Amino acid sequence: MSAAGRTVEHITCLGCGCACDDICVVVQHDRIGEARNACALGAAWFGDGSITQDVRVHGRTASLEQALDEAARILRAAQRPLVYLAVDLSCEAQREAVALADRLGAMLDGVSSGAAAGILAAQRRGRAGATLGEIRQRADVIVFWGTDPAERYPRFTSRYAVEPRGLQTPEGRSSRTVIAVDVGAKRGPRDAAARVAVAPGDEIDALGVMRATVQSRRATEDERFQSAVELARRMSAGRYVALVADGEPGAAPADGDVAEALVTLAQALNAPTRCALVVLRGGGNRSGAEAVLTWQTGFPFAVDFAPGYPSYRPRPGAIGLLAVGELDAALVIGSPASLPEPMATGLAPLVTVAIGPRVSAASFKPAVAVDTGVAGIHEGGTAFRMDDVPLPLRPVLTGPPTAAGTLRSLRERLGA
Amino acid sequence: MSAPSQLRISGGTVYDPANGVDGEVRDVCIEGERIVAELPSNVPRLDARGMIVMPGGVDIHAHIAGSSVNQGRRLLPEQHATDPVPAPRLADGATARSGTAGTIPSTFTTGYRYAGLGYTTVMEAAVAPLAARHAHAELDDTPIIDAGCFVLLGNDEYLLRQLAAGELARARQYVAWLLGATRAYAIKVVNPGGIARWKSGGTERDVRGIDDPVGSSSVTPRKILEVLAGVANTLELPHPVHIHCNNLGQPGNVATTLQTMQALAGQRAHFTHLQFHSYGGERGKGWKSAARDVIEHVNAHPEISADVGQVMFGPATTLTADAPVEHLLYASTGRKWVNVDIELETGCGIVPYAYRQQAAVAALQWAVGLELFLLARDPWRVVLSTDHPNGGSFLSYPQLIRLLMDRTYRDEQLKRVNQKLLAGSALLDGLAREYTLSEIAIVTRAGPARLLGLKSKGHLGAGADADVTIYKDHPDRAQMFATPRHVIKGGTIVVEEGQLRRAPPGRRLAVRPEYDAAVTKDLKRFFQDYACVSFENYGAEPVS
Repeated sequence: MSAAGRTVEHITCLGCGCACDDICVVVQHDRIGEARNACALGAAWFGDGSITQDVRVHGRTASLEQALDEAARILRAAQRPLVYLAVDLSCEAQREAVALADRLGAMLDGVSSGAAAGILAAQRRGRAGATLGEIRQRADVIVFWGTDPAERYPRFTSRYAVEPRGLQTPEGRSSRTVIAVDVGAKRGPRDAAARVAVAPGDEIDALGVMRATVQSRRATEDERFQSAVELARRMSAGRYVALVADGEPGAAPADGDVAEALVTLAQALNAPTRCALVVLRGGGNRSGAEAVLTWQTGFPFAVDFAPGYPSYRPRPGAIGLLAVGELDAALVIGSPASLPEPMATGLAPLVTVAIGPRVSAASFKPAVAVDTGVAGIHEGGTAFRMDDVPLPLRPVLTGPPTAAGTLRSLRERLGA
Repeated sequence: MSAPSQLRISGGTVYDPANGVDGEVRDVCIEGERIVAELPSNVPRLDARGMIVMPGGVDIHAHIAGSSVNQGRRLLPEQHATDPVPAPRLADGATARSGTAGTIPSTFTTGYRYAGLGYTTVMEAAVAPLAARHAHAELDDTPIIDAGCFVLLGNDEYLLRQLAAGELARARQYVAWLLGATRAYAIKVVNPGGIARWKSGGTERDVRGIDDPVGSSSVTPRKILEVLAGVANTLELPHPVHIHCNNLGQPGNVATTLQTMQALAGQRAHFTHLQFHSYGGERGKGWKSAARDVIEHVNAHPEISADVGQVMFGPATTLTADAPVEHLLYASTGRKWVNVDIELETGCGIVPYAYRQQAAVAALQWAVGLELFLLARDPWRVVLSTDHPNGGSFLSYPQLIRLLMDRTYRDEQLKRVNQKLLAGSALLDGLAREYTLSEIAIVTRAGPARLLGLKSKGHLGAGADADVTIYKDHPDRAQMFATPRHVIKGGTIVVEEGQLRRAPPGRRLAVRPEYDAAVTKDLKRFFQDYACVSFENYGAEPVS
């Protein structure tokens, strides 16, 4: 059996927010030999499943008990602790993390703060959206707004948006019109049937002109926007339009106004036709963290428990508080590789407890480090696709202690 | 193992209508998690003299957990910011959780506040099968209350296909399978066929009546309703099909509501938030009350039941699978709006809202709900709800109880509301009825429990769950019902002297009908062809 290996089916990949759950993992000699159906990004995320299993206190190898005792001591002594949620955590671990933050009166934030502009825009205006499968079933016009999912969301077009056949798109791609909007250097898919170029400085205005066109208002005669006007007419004539943009930092409009303009355009398109805005989100169960925080606290990220209840502090967020020296200790949970640069550097001077995959090698040198497994590879539980569809995680390998279990033990030590 | 804890609630005035007890001074005995007939005289006592003792409240229809509710929460940071809730201080140093409230409270706060209101059982009334795992995760974080989920059916592609193909037996098997797979308690139908139309694009954005075709000429809302009502009854589910009719909130929708009731004549069926479906008038031409027509039909048909879905003045959040309705509300109010089309199954629409006394339509809706309550002849079949948070928060139930029990108060309120659309409302004829405490006990616990088929809920007979609420008698019934003195859940005293002191986890209420496994073969083929999740990952069961 070990030579041929065993296969585990219906595995959910958290390599990106697509959360493809059709992965078949072949395990040989307690290593992942192959992740069938996975894209290159997914294959890299699974790797061979090997993982460090260190427990360290102040740089020295320690027992789990010693590490948790020291972690509890550090967090109890902290005046202004931060609990930070990185990626590769199950919802079960995230739930434990919020409980800890509540108990500690901590600032609770995570990688979602990188997507703040889009999240806040949706809180101001709402959203006209759909789960990804509905794009597959319905969308006859798909507009990629300054994004090509090929690199960061490799199976998005083959699994959800473009290629697959659906109820109202029996011919797959041939049943749809794919339009790329190139916003400066942020280009849409190369193989789109049509392209529209928008200068980055014109992005907001172009979206405004499009919304006006959809609402049959005349916005401008300016030549610069004629292609946007035509695009809006084309979208209005679709039966079901998908507007796809990237919500993650680097790709997302860092500008909340652009995010809001995308939301309101999609909403307006639901008068003449149907439209869903798809905001692409990264992997490691980011969406799960936002869902868990929302149901436990009422806010999706940047929750400060210092007043004794959840209060919303999206600005400054954890990075802003670190910058002004307000925080004196941190509990970092999840894969440290996902930390944004200002967070990793901001943590360096703090006394830090880290619990998550490969935290013993974290650049910010945690005082206490407990390596755990990766949710979806070594840990079971639940994760959310980028569109908030919940999926089960099936561990394919046994590994170090689970993040959820380790956090529960820490919580018990803190009397939470 | 230690002996089960024993408690005698002594000397209270007991309202236990399911057992024919109407305001009698008597003791209620609890052993472990159950009510027992008698206990030795030396067991611990809870002195309830001068107090009113009822079974724990049972909410037959609310939206408290799951994907749509959480979308709503995410949309309301301004409400949560202004309504923070510190963690309650529990007995014995036990840890409780902080949260936020507003019209959609966070999960822990939801559990605490329901318990604080004397409610111990709540039904989450709209769970998309695809997101059932999410709903159960939230309920795991909703303490104290026992909860069940109604699973959304009637716009789902697989079911509609079976109906189009005349495969009724397979449709039945599918529903039976789905109830178990999603750990659900009952079948919920929302705007049958209408959401499917909304999602398919094109010019037809909703159905207008129960005979409109949906995709196939042989599939209509009528057909969907007949089949699902039949399935619930054939499977002998504890609760019949739970129906949100077509044309919610539209003037003139009384015709659709009555046609729907007639279509299911002779079958057990529950019609939810009936208030939103009892309007006369005509689209584009105005509104009036049609409560009398609807409630007379209900009164005359013992096989059907309803909850009212009362509108209460103040903030609300409209939140429903009935996405086309929410688009209309968005278009007419310009408020912020969420729509989520849920693949192959259903929809979700959300618009935050406020019902104002001065607004003509809100005043009409308020009046229609009260008419339904006051003209209902059988309180066992017409029970209390606000369709939380759609018609108002569950925290407004005490205010609603006062409206039902106190005519003077009600008439004062009536004078303050916009009168423009009230012509023809029975309320203006001076409905004198005042609900008795026993009737309140029926519409808030005994009735919902009976309609849900929860044999151990809603009463205080031997063998019942020890869910008990004890109120201090007070002439202001709103105050009395808002602040129970003691609440006991499953034998644990959760509210003591008006303070939340314990927060044990609640239980999940679910059914698991038998089904023919052949249906899963066909389902797997359908999943292969259309779904974007693996069949093996679908539903809400733990995976190995």
